[in-house]
Amino acid sequence: MTHTLHRVGNAESLRRDIVFTYMPSNNINHVGSAPIIRRFLEMCRDLGAIKIGDTRKGNEYVQGSLENMLNNIEDRAVVEAVFDNEEKAIIALKALKEADLGLSLVVSGLFEQTRQCCSKAGLKMHTVNQSLGRWGRTDKLPDGAVLELNTMCGHGMVAVSLIEQAIEKVKARKWTPEKAAENLFKCCICGIINITRAAEIFKALTKENEKEND
Amino acid sequence: MKINSDLCTGCGKCNVFCPVGAIFKDQGKNISVIDLEECVECGSCLRQAKCSVDAIYQQELAWPRSVRSIMSDPLTITKESGIAGRGTEEMKTNDVTGRFRYGYVGVGIEMGRPILGTYFSDVEKVAMAVASYGVEFETRNPLTSLMSDQSTGKFQDELLGEKVLSTIIEFTIPVEKMLGLLEVLKDVSEKIDTVFSLCFVSRLGDDEVIPISHILDEAGVWYAPNGKANVGLGRPLFIEKGELV
Repeated sequence: MTHTLHRVGNAESLRRDIVFTYMPSNNINHVGSAPIIRRFLEMCRDLGAIKIGDTRKGNEYVQGSLENMLNNIEDRAVVEAVFDNEEKAIIALKALKEADLGLSLVVSGLFEQTRQCCSKAGLKMHTVNQSLGRWGRTDKLPDGAVLELNTMCGHGMVAVSLIEQAIEKVKARKWTPEKAAENLFKCCICGIINITRAAEIFKALTKENEKEND
Repeated sequence: MKINSDLCTGCGKCNVFCPVGAIFKDQGKNISVIDLEECVECGSCLRQAKCSVDAIYQQELAWPRSVRSIMSDPLTITKESGIAGRGTEEMKTNDVTGRFRYGYVGVGIEMGRPILGTYFSDVEKVAMAVASYGVEFETRNPLTSLMSDQSTGKFQDELLGEKVLSTIIEFTIPVEKMLGLLEVLKDVSEKIDTVFSLCFVSRLGDDEVIPISHILDEAGVWYAPNGKANVGLGRPLFIEKGELV
């Protein structure tokens, strides 16, 4: 009941972090759904999604290419499209409503923003999943940028050590923020890391580092 | 997961890919080694490190160790849910299933998330605490099938020493029981050696108001401004008895 939930960040950053999840339901509408799921992904890609992914078989890197990923979609796939721009997300929502493909769509993001996007697309929120945060030994968790980057992968596949290595390489100007973001994305099997937001987090860290060194 | 010590060159490139920090450098032998106690069998090192000498390999996983892979590798498809990952369809398809109805709250307690992972001994502590509060666990969730007694939240003893990246305790309760459940969770959260991420699912009415938010506000309970929203595009739509269409 989680996946794209529990993403940590400030409102300004989360405003550019909109993820669509699309899937059929077992024994209700899953039979013959693969071409519909593929059409959803192609529509999102063409309408400005920065990344698309497949939870069932893995992202473009796991499957070797984006084309392989699209060709391998199965009837019970759960797929995702990541947007970093509200206007593009609204256009995609309008197109999906118009297309009436018939499978279930979940929009992850700031609820107020999602409500407004839905309203502009002629849709309404039906069911919501709210995060009540982290409980227990939270003293063992990193904070700040590391937690923001880690929680963008719902399955926790982006290791803290990999994030810390990426931060060091960006600060040392060995990697660009964009390259660091793409490297984290590779580990996120479903492909739901928002590479634009991740790069912005890396850029902010670089600026902090430069201020400290001034 | 294991690393063949005869093949490993000690380059250390695989170490950073482990989500639970189970890969370390044996300085004496100058090779990388996986701590099998900590390893959750998620497959990340095998997939991502792309070892140049193919030293990383998946050993045969016998029960109960195989549960680590089932819960930790996102590409594992479990028979209970039929989908990849450790969860279920949950609210993602609620527009067609009607699984979460008006007046009820769906609860997901994701043990070990983020980062820390969890032993089943801690999962059992939380499951038994909420079971004593009178919840019924979601049978389509693969975790529920691992319980030796679903009425008490007790797990099979051989599982208690197994560690996974995360696993989700899932059930539904009436809204009236929500604040009491939070008290139970606050109490048990102080008795575990890991974290859990908590979520609540609600069915919205035509006004799109989240029905539990004001209750949480009045009780001073924090919740995130961001989350997931099913936007009702699935067909055929599930219609609750008495619901206006």
